[in-house]
Amino acid sequence: MDVALSKHGSRIMRVFFALVVVFLYAPILILLIFSFNNSEVPSFPLSGFTLHWYRAFLGNSDLRGALQTSAIIAALSSVGAVVLGTLASLALVRRRFRGKGPVSALLLSPLVIPYVVFGISLLLLFHQLGIPRSILTVVIGHIVISLPYTILVLMPRLQQIDASLEEAAYDLGASRVRTFRSITLPLILPAILSAYLIAFTTSFDEYAVASFVVGTRVTFPIYLYSALRFPNQLPQVIAVAVVVITISLFVVVAAEIGRRVAERRLGTLDA
Amino acid sequence: MGRSEGLLTSAAGDTPAPSRRRRLLRLDLTTPGLLGLPLAWLVVFFVVPIVIVAAYSFDVYSLFPGPHGFTFAGWRGFFHDAVYLRLFWKSVQMSLIVSAIIVVLAYPLAYFLALSGTKRKYILLLVLIAPFLTSYLLRVLAWKVILGDQGVVNSFLFWTGLRAEGNPISQLLYSRFAVMLVLGYIWLPFVALPIFVSLENLDRRLLEAASDLGASRLQAFRRVTLPLSAPGIVAAFLFVFIPTLGEFVTPSLVGGASGYMYGNQIVDLFGTGFPDWETGSVLAIFLLGVVGVLTIVFSRFLQPRQVAAD
Repeated sequence: MDVALSKHGSRIMRVFFALVVVFLYAPILILLIFSFNNSEVPSFPLSGFTLHWYRAFLGNSDLRGALQTSAIIAALSSVGAVVLGTLASLALVRRRFRGKGPVSALLLSPLVIPYVVFGISLLLLFHQLGIPRSILTVVIGHIVISLPYTILVLMPRLQQIDASLEEAAYDLGASRVRTFRSITLPLILPAILSAYLIAFTTSFDEYAVASFVVGTRVTFPIYLYSALRFPNQLPQVIAVAVVVITISLFVVVAAEIGRRVAERRLGTLDA
Repeated sequence: MGRSEGLLTSAAGDTPAPSRRRRLLRLDLTTPGLLGLPLAWLVVFFVVPIVIVAAYSFDVYSLFPGPHGFTFAGWRGFFHDAVYLRLFWKSVQMSLIVSAIIVVLAYPLAYFLALSGTKRKYILLLVLIAPFLTSYLLRVLAWKVILGDQGVVNSFLFWTGLRAEGNPISQLLYSRFAVMLVLGYIWLPFVALPIFVSLENLDRRLLEAASDLGASRLQAFRRVTLPLSAPGIVAAFLFVFIPTLGEFVTPSLVGGASGYMYGNQIVDLFGTGFPDWETGSVLAIFLLGVVGVLTIVFSRFLQPRQVAAD
């Protein structure tokens, strides 16, 4: 007898699970359908198949510019977050020091701050220092937001790696930097890659904080937000939405598979 | 963090005492090198900015030049003038309802994945969570397309004749309902994760023991599973409640006037219309204080492990 679920219960749960999955994916599916619909207004009845909206957004230079700006910001801020996150994780996992509790609390605290509060805080900081808002100010904010996520990905991986491997390299005369480069780094590379992906997608999708500190070059979420207020742009935006959601779903699945494969392969080294 | 001790003991095993001490000293010397940059970044771009907001809330700094200095006026106004507190309470209620409903919905999903013994549980978990990892704004957009007066639901009702043309169900969009539906939709996948982790760590032998001792499934659930997964439930609840409490993007897109939340008020006070940075800062610091207290009170449920798990 199964102790957790009766046969009947298990069947009900399976149906419930399926219903929730339908609820989660139906809106995305609806976007997909209407991105090919030949009408200015996304409503029933469907009025025929078209690729017009996809062509329209490919030709929309504002939109392309916004995507490019977001890609630049995401690339810069994710590198920054991963570098800072790796340093912090190494200290938290491999070192003993006084005040570790408060330090790790501070490092993770951007996870719980309401973004509206953080956004205006940065706005006031830059206002107070007289720093004009630009791509750089958004990058600064996104590094803060992404940093705790990179730490949450990197710390468990570092904890899995036997510290005696690093000790051995060190005993054999490798410098600390050399030890990191030839022992630690290769072992945590999968985790670094997934931390990078998380930081990149966090930044690429971030609207709340960016809306306070963005300069004249708007990011993709900010472009989207303003486009949502003009109905005539809606079909184009839906087409973009389909492309972006499809790409991000692919990245998520690929990253997950890649991480599992890599960690399984590296897992044999841990023993 | 048990690893740092492992480092010490392994070092102790194969090196004579004096050189070990010297080396540990050197290892420790690099700790500031590792922590310096991340901590400095957070202090300059996270802690100091919040202190500046606090300074604005006491009118130490001010948007407009002119006489100003330390005063409690902003805070007094906030607590006396019930407008902001009432709005805060409304946001608390909305977030509470959303968080409670989706935790109740997510629990059976997590239970099914973690305990039913299905082989594909990680794949199914990924299916559940994947929408959370796609664009936030685009998922809100989807609901705007679905719920509008000319949207998918209403046009479908017109088309099928279930409702007269020109007489849409207009409460669907720009309402408190719309905000709560969309917030629930956005956070539901995420909320299953901490519950799943706590159920997965549950020792199945406990359930077998309960069953051997004559407990029915329901009794075993109430006396064993539910109490042991309580930390996951609390964590899941807070992971939704905290971010939705300060939410302003979703209400500004689908909320209209009746879905206006506390976060929208903060944004508007810093907006271009009639900026009032002092009052806005008071509101922001108050929200931060509430979230801070919640985080500290429940910190033992908010262990990083709850989120960092596979």
